[in-house]
Amino acid sequence: MSVVGINLGNSYASIAVFTKEGHAECIANQDGERQIACAVSFHGEQIYIGNQAKLQLVKNEENTIIGFRNVLGKKFSEIEQKTRVASAKIIQHPDLPDIPAYRVQILAPSPKPLVVPHSKANTPLHSSAPTPRAEPSPTTRVLTVIEVTSIFIRDLIQSAEAFLGTKVEGAVITIPQSFDEKAKEDLGKACKEAGVEVLQMLEEVGAVVGATTEVGWDQALSGGDESDASTLPKDRTQLVVDLGASGTSVSILSIREGLGYVLGSTYTTEASAALIDDKLVKFFAADFTKKTKIALPLPLSSSSSDAKPSIQDARAEHKLRLAIEHTKRTISASPGAATCSIESLKEGMDYTGSINRMRFDMLISTVYAEVAKAVTSLLATEGGEEGVDAHDIDEIVYIGGSSCLPGLDERLSLQVGLRSDEDHIPEGTKPRPPVQRNGVSTGTGGVSDPTTVLARGCAIQAALLFKLAQSASTSEAEKELKDAFTNGGEVNKVQATTRTIGVVLPCAGSSNVPHYVASLKGVFIPLIHRETALPARRSVSLEISLAEQEEKRKVVAEVWEVKESVRSEKVVSKSTGGASGDDDDDEPEETTIKHVEIAPLTLLGVVTLIPKLALPPIKTTGKLAKGAPKGGWTTQVEIKCVVGIEGSVEVEVAEVGGLAGKEGGEGARERVYVAGLGV
Amino acid sequence: MAATQILSISAPAVPDNYSPPTPSTSARISQPHPAGHRSLLPIGRAYLNHLRLSLHHSHSFSSLDKHLDAERERLGKLHENDIVIEDDLGVGDEEEAPELLELDPKEWKKQDHYAVLGLSHLRYKANADQIKIAHRKKVLKHHPDKKAGTNSHTESVYLAGVNQNTNDDAFFKCIQKAHEILTNAERRRQFDSVDPVFVEFEEELPTATEIKSKNFDFFKTFTHVFELYARFSKVQPVPGLGDIDATKEEVESFYDFWYNFDSWRSFEWYDKEVNEGSDNRDDKRYTEKKNKSERARRKKEDIAKLRNLVDMSLGIDPRIKRIKQQEKEARDAKKRGVVNGGPPKKTKAQEEEEKKKAEAEAKVREEAESAARAEAKRQKTAAANAAKKARRQQRAVEEGAPS
Repeated sequence: MSVVGINLGNSYASIAVFTKEGHAECIANQDGERQIACAVSFHGEQIYIGNQAKLQLVKNEENTIIGFRNVLGKKFSEIEQKTRVASAKIIQHPDLPDIPAYRVQILAPSPKPLVVPHSKANTPLHSSAPTPRAEPSPTTRVLTVIEVTSIFIRDLIQSAEAFLGTKVEGAVITIPQSFDEKAKEDLGKACKEAGVEVLQMLEEVGAVVGATTEVGWDQALSGGDESDASTLPKDRTQLVVDLGASGTSVSILSIREGLGYVLGSTYTTEASAALIDDKLVKFFAADFTKKTKIALPLPLSSSSSDAKPSIQDARAEHKLRLAIEHTKRTISASPGAATCSIESLKEGMDYTGSINRMRFDMLISTVYAEVAKAVTSLLATEGGEEGVDAHDIDEIVYIGGSSCLPGLDERLSLQVGLRSDEDHIPEGTKPRPPVQRNGVSTGTGGVSDPTTVLARGCAIQAALLFKLAQSASTSEAEKELKDAFTNGGEVNKVQATTRTIGVVLPCAGSSNVPHYVASLKGVFIPLIHRETALPARRSVSLEISLAEQEEKRKVVAEVWEVKESVRSEKVVSKSTGGASGDDDDDEPEETTIKHVEIAPLTLLGVVTLIPKLALPPIKTTGKLAKGAPKGGWTTQVEIKCVVGIEGSVEVEVAEVGGLAGKEGGEGARERVYVAGLGV
Repeated sequence: MAATQILSISAPAVPDNYSPPTPSTSARISQPHPAGHRSLLPIGRAYLNHLRLSLHHSHSFSSLDKHLDAERERLGKLHENDIVIEDDLGVGDEEEAPELLELDPKEWKKQDHYAVLGLSHLRYKANADQIKIAHRKKVLKHHPDKKAGTNSHTESVYLAGVNQNTNDDAFFKCIQKAHEILTNAERRRQFDSVDPVFVEFEEELPTATEIKSKNFDFFKTFTHVFELYARFSKVQPVPGLGDIDATKEEVESFYDFWYNFDSWRSFEWYDKEVNEGSDNRDDKRYTEKKNKSERARRKKEDIAKLRNLVDMSLGIDPRIKRIKQQEKEARDAKKRGVVNGGPPKKTKAQEEEEKKKAEAEAKVREEAESAARAEAKRQKTAAANAAKKARRQQRAVEEGAPS
C-alpha cells in the first residue's frame, strides 16, 4: 500500500508516507528537505523545484514562481495587483479570458537534428552525418497556475516514489479553509495532470484531527513517557494554532473519541510568518547599516512603493530572507542566540550578526500578541455562557514551522489564560490537568513536530481511504461509505449534545474526596461531555466503597444532566514581576483563578444496585485512593451510558467482579432508560 | 465495543441517611444542537465507524458491534492465510543427532550431506529451493557467531571460564561443505550416486536364496527395489513394476525398460585424491588412470548387479508365469482345434457367409475400380482434346497477328 499525504501550503509543502510498519512518516525530498519550499523556477533549459528554486530568487526572480497555491481557483480580476512583487508576476493569460498566468523566459531545446536518409553516394554533398545541432533558442513560456501546481505536485510525488520504490497509488492533500469549489476543482485538475489519484482533499483542521487522534500521539506529547500519557483525555477540546506564511488561522475543535468537529475558527492576516520575516529583515538590515555604514532600506515592501528599488537591494533582501530561515530554526531549536551570516550582502560586504532569545521575542512580540488576540477574540465570540472558555481547552496543537518559536507558546499561555501547572485548585473543585501542547516541550523532529503534523494526518487518512477503496470494489455498502468520505454532505451534519451527562455517586460531603461536587452531594463522573455527536456511548469502570453491614450495602448512581461553567476568582498574586514588559498589557495586580463549577440541571434517573461481588477489606490499603475509607468493603462497577440519536439515555450499572480476580457468579446489573426528546 | 475507561478513583460509600430522589417522569436531556449546526470533519477511524452507524446500522450500537466483530473475524482469517503462505516448502526442522554434531569437517567425504542440512527425509528429491531454505535454517542455528558466548562445560577448575571450544565451528564447516556440494549439480550427482543410505540398502538386496523361500513377497520387495533404482534413470518417469493383473504389454514394456536401463550413476566420489604435494606428473597420471579404471569397474559391477536383479525378478515374476501359461493354453487350444476340427466345423455356416461377403466385397471393389479407371480415361482424353484445341487457337492467333 503506497499512499502519501501531502500538505500543500502556500509557502512550504511536506510529504508523508504510510510505512509498512503502519506509521505515517514525514519524508525528505531528494534535496534532503522535509520542508519543501513551494517554488518553481525556470533557468535556461532547467526547471528548479523546491528549495533550489527559492535560491534562484536572488538572481532570477522574474522567472521564479512562488505563492501559487493561493491563486488556485481565482480569476485574474479577483487578484489584488501589487506594485512590486519579488517573484514572477501574475499576468492575464494571453489566450484564456480572465485566467491568471505566469510568463517565464526559458531556453527552448533546439529541434532534433535532421537526419538525412542514408545516401550511398559518399560525397560531401550527400554526407550521412546529421546536420549540426542548433543552439537552444530563448523563448517565453506562459504557464497557468494549474500547470505550475501540477509541476510542483509531480515533483513531490516523484520524491515519494523514490522513497517508497513503488508507484504512488493515492494521495490525500490538504486544502485551506478558504478554498472554494473552484479552487478545489483547479487543485483536482493539477493533481490529475501530475498523474496522482486524489483520495480526498482534506481541510487542514481535518488533518490535525487525523494526526492527533492517532495512537501514539499522547505518548509523543509526553516525550515517550507512558506515565503521563493518560493526561490527554479521549474527549477533549483542542485549540489549533496554524501560524502560516500569509496568515494565522485559529480553530477550536471538539474531539470526542476520535470524532472531531469545529466549534469555531478565525483567520487573521495580522499575524503571519511573513510579518516575522519582515521584522527580522528590518532588524538585520539596520544592524548591517550600523556595522558597515552602507544604507540598506529593507524590507522593500514597506518602504517607498513608487520608486523602483535597486537590483542590489532586491538581491540583498532575497539573500537576507533565505538566511533568516536558518536563524529562525536555530532560535526554535536552542535556547541560546542565533546567528545570521550572509556573504556579500551589499556592495561586496559580508554580514554576520546574531540575535538572542530575548531580543527576538521582543521583536516579534507584536505578532505573538496578534495571535493571542485572535485566540481571545475567537473564545469571546464562541464563548459566553454555553461556549468554550480558555479554561476548557485541554490541548493546543501548533501547526507550521513558525509556531515552533518558543516565545509564542509562552505568550499565548499568559495572555489567553490557559490552564497550567501553577494553577492552584480551590478545594472541592474538579482538578484538571494542564494544557498539553505539541512541538514546544519535545522539540522538533518527533511525531508531534508542528511542521509534519498535517502531512502525517493526511498519510494516515490516505491509508484508511485506500483500504476502504479496496473493500469498496467488492461491497456496495463499503462503496457508500467511501462516497460519504469524499463527498461529505448530509451525513456529516450531526446533532450534538449541549450539556454534559454524568452519574453522581452520592456520598457524605467531604472536601478530600476527589471529584466530589458539593452541589450534587456526591462524586460526579461525566460520561457524555457536551459537544458530543449523537449517537454516543461511553463506559467507565471504578471502585466503589460499601457499608460494613451486609444488609446496608448498595450502590446508587443518579443520572444527572449538569451545567458546567467556569468561574473566575480574583486572587491577589504574591509577586507582580511579570515577564512581559509591554505597555499595552495592563499589569495585573491580582491574578485570576478559574475553576469549573458544576450545577445540577435535570435528574434523569436513579439506579440502585445491591452488590453481589463485594470484596472484603484488603489488608494492604496502599492502592486505595486518598480519602477513601480505609479497609472497607468494595466492589468494582462498570457504568455504561448510551445516548441515542433522538436523545434517549440509557445508563447501565453492572458489577464486573473484584480487583483481586474473584471470579464466579454473575454480578448485579441494573439499568435506567430515559425516553428520547420526540417521545 | 467502546473502550472502557478505567478510573483510578474510589468512590466512598452511600451515606446511611441517603434516600434516593425520584426523577420526574418527564425528565429529558436538553435539546441538542440542531442538525447542521455542527458538521463532522471527515477523517479517521472513528468517523468511519460513525458513518457505518448512521448509514448502515440506523444508529444502533449493538448492530455496529456485531458488524465490527464479524469484520475482525474475517480479517483474522485472512491473516491466518497469510501465515500459511510463508511456508518452508516442507523442509521442516530436523534435530541433529549427537553423532552428527561430532562430525569432523575434514572427513567430509564420509558425511551424509542431506542429514547435515536436515534434509534426510527428502534426500535426492530435495529441490534447489528446499536446499537453500534448509541451509539458511541450519546456518541461523549453528553460525559460530551465535556460539561465541557459550562455553563448553569443563571439569577442570583451572580451565573454568576459558572457552576451550575452539572447534566450535566444526559443524558449521560441515554445513557449508554440504551446501557447497548439494548446490553444485555435478557434485550432487556424484554424491547421490553413492548416497550412503542407498549403499546401505544395496547391501540388503534380495539374494537368490531368499527369493526361493516360501514366504517371499515378490511384489512388495521388488516394487521397492525398482523404485529405489529408478532414481538413476536418465529417462523419467520410470515404469513401475505394476501388480499381478498387469497386462502382457505392460509387463513386457517394464522388462524392456529395465533391460535397456540408462543410468547416470557414476563413481567419481570414490576416487583416490591425487597427491597434491607431488609434482610428479607420472604419479598423477598413474592415480588418474587407476581412478578411471576403478570407476569403470564399479560402473560395470553396478550394471551387472542391476542386470542380475532384473533377471532375478523376471525369473520369479508370477505374471510371466501366468502369461506363459496363457500363451501355452492358447497354443494348445489352437493345436487342439486343428486336431479335432471342432471349432472350424462349428463355424462352417459362418465361414461360408464370410466367403460370400468377401466375394461380394471384391466384386464391389472391382466394379468401383473399373468405374474409376473409365473415368480417368475419359478425363485424360478430355484434357488432351482441350490441349489440342488450345494449341490450335494459339496458332491461329499467332498467324493472325502478323497479318
